[in-house]
Amino acid sequence: MNILSIIIFLPIITAVILFFVRIHVNTIKIIYMIVTSIIALLTLKLYINFEQISSMQFEEIHRWISEYGINYHIGVDGVSLGIVMMNAILMPLVAIALYKQRDKRGYWINLLFVQGGIMGVALSLDLMLFYLFWEIMLLPIFLMIGFFGYGNKNFITMKFNIYTIFGSLMMLISILYIAVQYKIQFDVYTFELDKLQNLILTPTQSILVFSGFMIAFAIKIPIFPFHTWLSDTYRSAPTGAVIVMSALMAKLGAYAIWRVLFTLLDETSHEVAHYFIAVGLFGLIYFGISAMRQTHLKRMFALSSASHLSLVVVGFFIYDVYGLIGSSYLIVAHAISSAALFLMAGMLYERSKTYDIASLGGIATVAPRFSLFFAFFALSIVGVPMTAGFVAEVLIVLGAFNYNIYIGFLTATTILIAMLFMFKMISQVLYGKASKATENFEDLRMHELIALIPLALLVLAMGIFPNYFIKNIEPTAVSYTVGKKVFHHD
Amino acid sequence: MTNTFIALAVPALLLLSAIFILLFGFSSYYSKNRGYYITLVTLFITFCISVNGVGDIHSAEVFPHIFNAMVVYDTFSATFISLFLLGGFLSLAIAKSFIDKTNFFVPESFVLFLFSLFGMVVLTMANELLTAFIALEIASMAVYVLVGLNRESLKASEAFFKYLLLGSFSASFYLLGMMLIYAQVKSTNLNVIAEYILNNDLNSQLLIVAGSMLIMITIMFKIAAVPFGAWVLDVYEGASLPITAYMAAVFKISVFAFIIRMFLTNNDFVQLVFDPLIILGAVITMIGGSLLAVIQSSVKKMLAASSVVHSGYMMIALASIEDIDSSASSAIIFYLFSYFISAIGAFGVLSYISKGTDKLISFDDLNGLGKNSPIIAVSLTIFMLSLAGFPSTIGFIGKFYIFTSAIESGYTPLALFGAITAFISIYYYFKVIVHLYFKESTDVKVQYGYKVSLAFIMISAFIVLWGGVGTSLIFNIPGINALNELSKYAIQSLVF
Repeated sequence: MNILSIIIFLPIITAVILFFVRIHVNTIKIIYMIVTSIIALLTLKLYINFEQISSMQFEEIHRWISEYGINYHIGVDGVSLGIVMMNAILMPLVAIALYKQRDKRGYWINLLFVQGGIMGVALSLDLMLFYLFWEIMLLPIFLMIGFFGYGNKNFITMKFNIYTIFGSLMMLISILYIAVQYKIQFDVYTFELDKLQNLILTPTQSILVFSGFMIAFAIKIPIFPFHTWLSDTYRSAPTGAVIVMSALMAKLGAYAIWRVLFTLLDETSHEVAHYFIAVGLFGLIYFGISAMRQTHLKRMFALSSASHLSLVVVGFFIYDVYGLIGSSYLIVAHAISSAALFLMAGMLYERSKTYDIASLGGIATVAPRFSLFFAFFALSIVGVPMTAGFVAEVLIVLGAFNYNIYIGFLTATTILIAMLFMFKMISQVLYGKASKATENFEDLRMHELIALIPLALLVLAMGIFPNYFIKNIEPTAVSYTVGKKVFHHD
Repeated sequence: MTNTFIALAVPALLLLSAIFILLFGFSSYYSKNRGYYITLVTLFITFCISVNGVGDIHSAEVFPHIFNAMVVYDTFSATFISLFLLGGFLSLAIAKSFIDKTNFFVPESFVLFLFSLFGMVVLTMANELLTAFIALEIASMAVYVLVGLNRESLKASEAFFKYLLLGSFSASFYLLGMMLIYAQVKSTNLNVIAEYILNNDLNSQLLIVAGSMLIMITIMFKIAAVPFGAWVLDVYEGASLPITAYMAAVFKISVFAFIIRMFLTNNDFVQLVFDPLIILGAVITMIGGSLLAVIQSSVKKMLAASSVVHSGYMMIALASIEDIDSSASSAIIFYLFSYFISAIGAFGVLSYISKGTDKLISFDDLNGLGKNSPIIAVSLTIFMLSLAGFPSTIGFIGKFYIFTSAIESGYTPLALFGAITAFISIYYYFKVIVHLYFKESTDVKVQYGYKVSLAFIMISAFIVLWGGVGTSLIFNIPGINALNELSKYAIQSLVF
């Protein structure tokens, strides 16, 4: 069995077995830790053995539904490597940080399951397989919000679920449509990404197919008009689910734009790119302003992460080597920082029993270590130099200037909006007078430190030695821009 | 085992054991339980016999001299017969605890059960309109009575009466249509009709067009397509749960089996005359069924309404059949199987947790089931996911085939519409999951019926999952590929 298959199915199979076995929750936590650590080690091995080339590596292919040419086809390249690494690193650390608070079996089983699902989406190279995992990873989140969420959780989890599945079904029709077109042109069914590339579609067809895919991805990310599920869902979801959603699942939406749309509908993507750059820039500002107005900490983080994901979308659609690398880098950087921030928001709630920004304050005086980390991760999201976010944003801005000087200027200035809401939040939450809620604020405990320090180190490492990480993405990014037709937008 | 033997043995065994129970059912020795077990064993044996006819492509008229080519036994009928017998077996086996806890199942109920299966078996083998009618009526009559089994329940009596009246009324359309066709073709044999249609100008075939329209009305009635399916909610509601499961999953399939045979033998004609009508029918059936399903407050009625939606999906596939080789025809068989197994499971879970009471299971009755009996809750969840077409279940593969075949035949908007309907169905199917897991119940843990019923529910759930992800690569168990192959064989045997 290939290493990638183990990465995908070990968590899923463990989750299924754990569901049927009646054992104490502490044992389940231990098993969770063992499995996620194995996955982390395996991905580390994957990272070390990864060669800096643009083609797929560690491929595995088996027939699945032969009549329709559907294969179990997985592989990893520079783009998916980042998400796989993030998933593998975050999962055990999340568990370390949360292990005392969560005493429900379902919480851990679902987290395991979703890890496998996300790995599956990131690694699959067959569209049906991709769709399968894309839907499957939704289920644990649906269950987690319903089981452990806050507020009007049943309604919110249904809304989230229905919203997302609507997108998925549109994507399904697009997938089927291109497969049938392929059958018409080449007389055989296939759902393989690399074969479907050869398909020739008329402009109308490709726009329709593009929109089908894009609806699914736009809802998942979310891009501007499709964000209405976002803030409620993040507010009522439990910490573990929020981290998975913001740090990993939302990124998968952005990743899928590259993996699916740029591969299959390269030209169409170029043609519509300026719309998405516009929507992305607008979303960046819109979500930024919305974030500023929030009084609920988690909602604020939700909108802030939406704002940054819009930036990722801009970076992708700029279609420049710098843009692609920058966006992929931002995906990883933002995943770490936002996971850490949501984790700390959960700790904050556990100690102060409130998410209301106005009733917090003065934490810096009582809990210096907490404040240090909190401020550090918040700043890394803003993109302060020496952090990973800085490298990513610089690259995206560079790409934007390459695309068009006005877009470059706009991107460079609108990024600054993150500073507004982040600094405002930091000043309100950490500084000022200690309020009733934060008087007895306990500083970070040992296990929380253990979870946060690796993340902080990673953010620093990615900020100081970007080359070491970028060299893995670069060949793929180059193959998507230089290797293909060069477009000029002046 | 020769095919002729299978073709004779299956109906004969069903009849014999029905007559046996009928004769000896009143003796004190043959209680309800014995009738149940005799039926179960008969179904099991006949199933074992009939699956022998599934693996390869064959087609032959059964004793053409005696039956005058009225019945034909081919892979197509073999596949469907095996499905019915499996369906009958599963719905009875799952209903074990329900049957034990109620007092309205008497030995005769099982006789009716066997008779209805006999009718369906003959219906799928029928190659002629009159035989098909008789077989359909044998099956229908038995099902009418099964619906009204619970004489103490007003609802059941109402359902029985309604179904009987409307069913007989709709059957008369069939007779009239058949008469018109006979008037022109001078035969009721499907092959002869097909040949006549092929060799004559369409403008001279008004009687055939009118006649087949009338036949379509009966068929649309039987599969509960909107506007002819007004009976479905009341009847499914009134019938006791195992019977509802049987009707929704097995009886409907038999009608579909006959439609497919009729359509594929007269394919060009159907395409020309009926395709627009079927498309229209599919669209309004899906809209109507979805609207009905969304507003229901009882799970049983929701499942009943959603079975209308599933008829709509199958009508998409019917419209997409272009010729015998088009993937739509095998897609519909796969979909029938996927719906059949999911619906039997879903209704089976309901009958299992209803503990023999006749109450409608409302959504609130499911509250807390996830905590109290996780295995049942998981099975029900799997069935719901499958009915909703969620990936990794057999229901998804079924929808995948249907939508693909629709797009292949150029009906992309229809596939899109199907996807939107599937999207609406997410609401009512996931509502069940929400109630199962996220709502607290005040009830304490209850002990539900027999482990046997539970075992069969779990087996069905496993089949649903395996049909969604299964591959013969793992453990060498035949998966999706094998099922697809079987439906291909069944279709190809029609032109063998």
